[in-house]
Amino acid sequence: MSPNDGDAPAVELDGLKLAFHAGTPDQRIALDNLSLALNRGDFAVVIGSNGAGKSTLLNVISGALRPDAGSIAVDGVDVTRAPVHRRAAMIGRVFQDPMLGTAPALSIEENLALASMRGRRRGLGLALDHAARSRFAALLEPFGLGLEKRMAAPASLLSGGQRQVLALVMASLVRPRVLLLDEHTAALDPGTAALVMQATQRIVAEGGLTTLMITHNMAQAVEYGNRLLAMDAGRIKLDIAGAEKTSLSIDDLVRRFAGDADHVLLRSRANMAAGPADATGAKG
Amino acid sequence: MDALVLYWNLVPVTLVQGLAYALVALAVMIPFRILSVPDLSSEGVFPLGACVAAALIAAGVSPIAATLAAIVAGFFAGVTTALIHLKFRVHSLLAGILTITMLWSVNLRVLGKPNQPIFGQPNLFDWISPAILMNLNLQILVFAVLLAVLVGALWWGLQTHAGLALRGVGANPSLAPALGVNVVLYTSAGLGLASCFSALAGALLAQQQGYGDVGMGVGMLVNGLASVIIGESITGRRTLLRQVLAPVVGSIAYYQLASLALSIGLEPSDLKIATGGFVLLTIGWPVLLGRKTPASRAF
Repeated sequence: MSPNDGDAPAVELDGLKLAFHAGTPDQRIALDNLSLALNRGDFAVVIGSNGAGKSTLLNVISGALRPDAGSIAVDGVDVTRAPVHRRAAMIGRVFQDPMLGTAPALSIEENLALASMRGRRRGLGLALDHAARSRFAALLEPFGLGLEKRMAAPASLLSGGQRQVLALVMASLVRPRVLLLDEHTAALDPGTAALVMQATQRIVAEGGLTTLMITHNMAQAVEYGNRLLAMDAGRIKLDIAGAEKTSLSIDDLVRRFAGDADHVLLRSRANMAAGPADATGAKG
Repeated sequence: MDALVLYWNLVPVTLVQGLAYALVALAVMIPFRILSVPDLSSEGVFPLGACVAAALIAAGVSPIAATLAAIVAGFFAGVTTALIHLKFRVHSLLAGILTITMLWSVNLRVLGKPNQPIFGQPNLFDWISPAILMNLNLQILVFAVLLAVLVGALWWGLQTHAGLALRGVGANPSLAPALGVNVVLYTSAGLGLASCFSALAGALLAQQQGYGDVGMGVGMLVNGLASVIIGESITGRRTLLRQVLAPVVGSIAYYQLASLALSIGLEPSDLKIATGGFVLLTIGWPVLLGRKTPASRAF
């Protein structure tokens, strides 16, 4: 599974279908013939109501779920049938739950050492030596959280925001062909969420990483990324890119997405997100 | 006073016991603490090691080959438990009980009868030096050196990339695959490795005592568990070294405590309830004192 560096899109999803409880009265279509191509360097933000299929989409790309039909290619390599640990060589992922993205019983440096071998053969060489320790400390230093001074501390002692930053560094330590962010700021307070988003922006920009980020936060959806995907009922309803994305405001977004079954919900979320503090728009 | 003299005279014997059974305590610690997959297999793997070694030695195989064969058999028993747990999604405790149950038949088949004396046959200790089985101090030395080597290797191995992946699987099984770690492979290898320690203990004990017996494993697991808990209350778990030393320290302490209890008049048949009660007390007293909530459970 060696990534091909030709002209293939970073991620190419073709005709993905997935139904939960198929063939029972509880059947729920999570992905409905969904096709999508992400170009190299795309930072796509995915919005949509609960049950629209956002998380399912990420889970299918990461391999946690197997689609009923359709194919998934990363950098031109078909990974539709590859198990999670195999395709992990090409995919970095940060989860919503800060507890999930790091190994709490391992130290900060051990977490990084573990992540530094993603997609590589793990042999019997010592995982941490002086060179690795200083390399890892240098990676954490720019985030200004002081983590580089606590390298031997167990990750369980970190706050939620610190853990998400560590998880981001871990997910991007071996350059992923695509970075999947599954509402990775949703469990954090607004201040910490902003800090983690800054870290995200930095990592994505520095690595030029192709990124797919789910968010429920309309302000984030407008502010970040070069592309916005709105999902509903297992399909991509809106795909806004380029200049249109750059000039998009929360009001535009709600208007564009209106008419869909969940627009009321979306509007209430938008209102919450664009509270008085950033009513002028959160353009960065 | 007499009781203390009796205890004191038994110290060399119980020290050998403590060191030998420290291998089982290590085998209990690895799944519980490193992999977070509680596993009971030791109870069946310990006699498996004893039976394989005894049967092969009785058949004229060299004690070295017999001991190695016992270790390999143990490895596969551990992998069996792991695969039942992972592939059939059976709780690891139940998977271990299934393995123990099936191993009972296997052990009887291997031995051909419930008990196989190998007294007077070649054994590993005589191969090193015929003086060892005559001298408790030398046995203490042999087991101490063996444990130092094995614990050292384990400590080092857990700090390698592969060892870190093993600990990663235990620390966060949902993160591990996302970092490219094959959970089935590493869990199988980890439980297999742990069972190697149990089987080695069985093989060595059979050769030291001069027989293999299908009933040798009874109570092995709770003794091992008690050893791990006692050891951790002494060494703590703050560093990896403390964690891998805990079973050894705990096993030595446990067999001294058991010996002391027997010296002051406890019947050997009462030892199991004493051990069980002791385990409960060690786990329970921080909770009773309100220092720890039951949620941060010991096991």
